[in-house]
Amino acid sequence: MWGEQLRMAWQSLRANTFRSLLTMLGIIIGSSTLVSVLSLGNALQGQVFERFIDLGTRRVAILPGDPDANGARVSSGYGLLSIKDFNALDKMVTTHPDIFRTIVPEVAIKVRARSGTVEVDSLVVGTGADYQKVQSVPLEAGRFFTLEEELDSDRVAVLGSLVTEDLFGKGVENRAKAVGQTIIINGQSIKILGVIKGAGGPFSSDQRILVPSGTARLRIAGNQDLPGRGLKMSSILLGLRTEGVVTKAEALITATLRDARNVPVGAIDDFKINSPTQALGILNGINSAITGFIAVVAGISLVVGGIGIMNIMLVAVTERTREIGVRKALGATDRDVLGQFVIEAATISLIGSFIGIGFAVALVLGIASAAGLGMILSIPAVIISLIFALGIGIGFGYYPAKRAALLLPIEALRYE
Amino acid sequence: MSTDVVAIHHVSKIFDGGDNRVVALDNVSLTIAKGEMVGIMGPSGSGKSTLMTIIGLLDVPTSGTYLLDGIETSGLDRTAQAGVRNQKLGFIFQNFNLLPRLTALQNVALPMVYARVGMGEREARAKAALEAVGLGNRLNNRPNELSGGQKQRVAIARALVNNPAILLADEPTGALDSRTGHEIMALFRQLNREQGITVVVVTHDAEVGKQMDRIVSLRDGQLNMDALHEYYGINTDALGRVVTEVPHVG
Ligand SMILES: Nc1ncnc2c1ncn2[C@@H]1O[C@H](COP(=O)(O)OP(=O)(O)OP(=O)(O)O)[C@@H](O)[C@H]1O
Ligand SMILES: [Mg+2]
Repeated sequence: MWGEQLRMAWQSLRANTFRSLLTMLGIIIGSSTLVSVLSLGNALQGQVFERFIDLGTRRVAILPGDPDANGARVSSGYGLLSIKDFNALDKMVTTHPDIFRTIVPEVAIKVRARSGTVEVDSLVVGTGADYQKVQSVPLEAGRFFTLEEELDSDRVAVLGSLVTEDLFGKGVENRAKAVGQTIIINGQSIKILGVIKGAGGPFSSDQRILVPSGTARLRIAGNQDLPGRGLKMSSILLGLRTEGVVTKAEALITATLRDARNVPVGAIDDFKINSPTQALGILNGINSAITGFIAVVAGISLVVGGIGIMNIMLVAVTERTREIGVRKALGATDRDVLGQFVIEAATISLIGSFIGIGFAVALVLGIASAAGLGMILSIPAVIISLIFALGIGIGFGYYPAKRAALLLPIEALRYE
Repeated sequence: MSTDVVAIHHVSKIFDGGDNRVVALDNVSLTIAKGEMVGIMGPSGSGKSTLMTIIGLLDVPTSGTYLLDGIETSGLDRTAQAGVRNQKLGFIFQNFNLLPRLTALQNVALPMVYARVGMGEREARAKAALEAVGLGNRLNNRPNELSGGQKQRVAIARALVNNPAILLADEPTGALDSRTGHEIMALFRQLNREQGITVVVVTHDAEVGKQMDRIVSLRDGQLNMDALHEYYGINTDALGRVVTEVPHVG
């Protein structure tokens, strides 16, 4: 019976090809929008995600507190991160190996670096040998400094690609030749161990000079340590085991730091905790909102398409009243007639959806190959749009079909 | 009376359209035996078609009872009625009522679709039915490619294909020229004689009427045998059987 009804539906669509296509238009537009928007939205989300994993989603940064913040206490050096804070956190990291992987400081000092007669402005960042575990700093030449070199506060450095080029000239070869050379910073001769691959963007290390934190604190900055607190740190980075422990980690850090810094109960934190997951969440939220909005528009288009189908089915039922009468005279039950028209509506809707998905696939694959994104077609979106179209066909086809089913045989036959 | 295919008792059909109330059938009682070939005659508007639709379960009487092949029809729901139409009744209309988009074969197969007969058997039986009415060479033509007589033959094949108990034909020759009409009537007679199918034919044609075993005459919704002579010049005995005209005594 199903096969028979599908055949009937197909015959009746073929009998009115142009009208059927017009009827499908809303579904075609809705389906193609849904599939292309969800596919492209997913791809975008994936890209954003990859970017952030690059920067390290399994990482929390602690930043100095804002002395102008609402509720900040008036005290000298408010919010600055000290060696004492670092040591407290270091202890916390060792006692919670299940949550934290590592801890490294970032001691930033603005300097002028010199090689021979060339001088450039740069930023020295004193950090740990584990820096590579919390920041994306792939080397293109040489190596990073070791734990030993860190503990000895050796005069060694790893240079960002732009700093290297400023000092030694442009090009891969010049950058590679920099390894092993010596530069002068604040009167100290510092040996270049490696060069970081250029990443671009404002947050990259391209303009930086990475040295062991002791080297930065003791040799480059000299005695700029704050009384009782040690040298201020621009940030402390903590590596996490997984993305899942971010909340736990934040709670531990807050407790540890408030204790170490003697923040009175009720006072606001005089430090900030930044986790890239927050930013990631916001970005993904925006992306989801846009994707969701367009998906809703596509959904509305599908519903409008459904109303178009309902309209044309009502016309069809009226046009074919006599046919319905004949079928009933020959023994069609109400259910047979209901099924015939519902299946016809669902067929229109599904074919429209297939056509729309075809357009979307062409569009998405076109964009993907143009942008070199690989396979980004969202199969769930295809399935969702087919199911949606089927539901709309059945939903909006039901009422006209019910009208057809309830026609009295004699009245349908007598209909002129 | 187990041989009665149709047993109608005191059936009335009233169309109540507000101010204009039409009594289309007024207390009609009538039985049709298995294997009979019965004509229904009467002037226009006398209720012939109404009576046919009630016999054909296309409509229900306002009052009275109707037993079809022993089944009390007032107890049937819509689905059961559809089943009875499918299995026991074969309809033939004045305007053929073939589905224009379907081929002759598909039209004839339609009642079997609703009887849930499998595709292969459907085709074989539809083909056999079309061959039986002399259309074995027109299987894949659509109705608009057939003549009136051919269309009516397709309709007859379609009516017969589920082996019904009764064939109901409302003015089957009304849209045909007289020669084609005769051929169609001969086909009915043949089916009736050879296969014992009960045939009920509504007709205005006195010649057609005279070929019937029996005639039921209607006037203003009531059974009225006098009208038969008055309108068609046909004489019947008390049972409604056609009697050859007695020559007037000079
Ligand atoms: N659906 C209806 N609504 C109102 N009146 C109806 C309806 N069907 C039939 N009638 C009326 O019932 C009466 C009998 O109609 P019916 O069609 O049975 O006549 P008929 O004998 O078949 O006439 P004809 O020879 O012209 O076909 C007529 O007066 C007709 O107007
Ligand atoms: Mg009539």
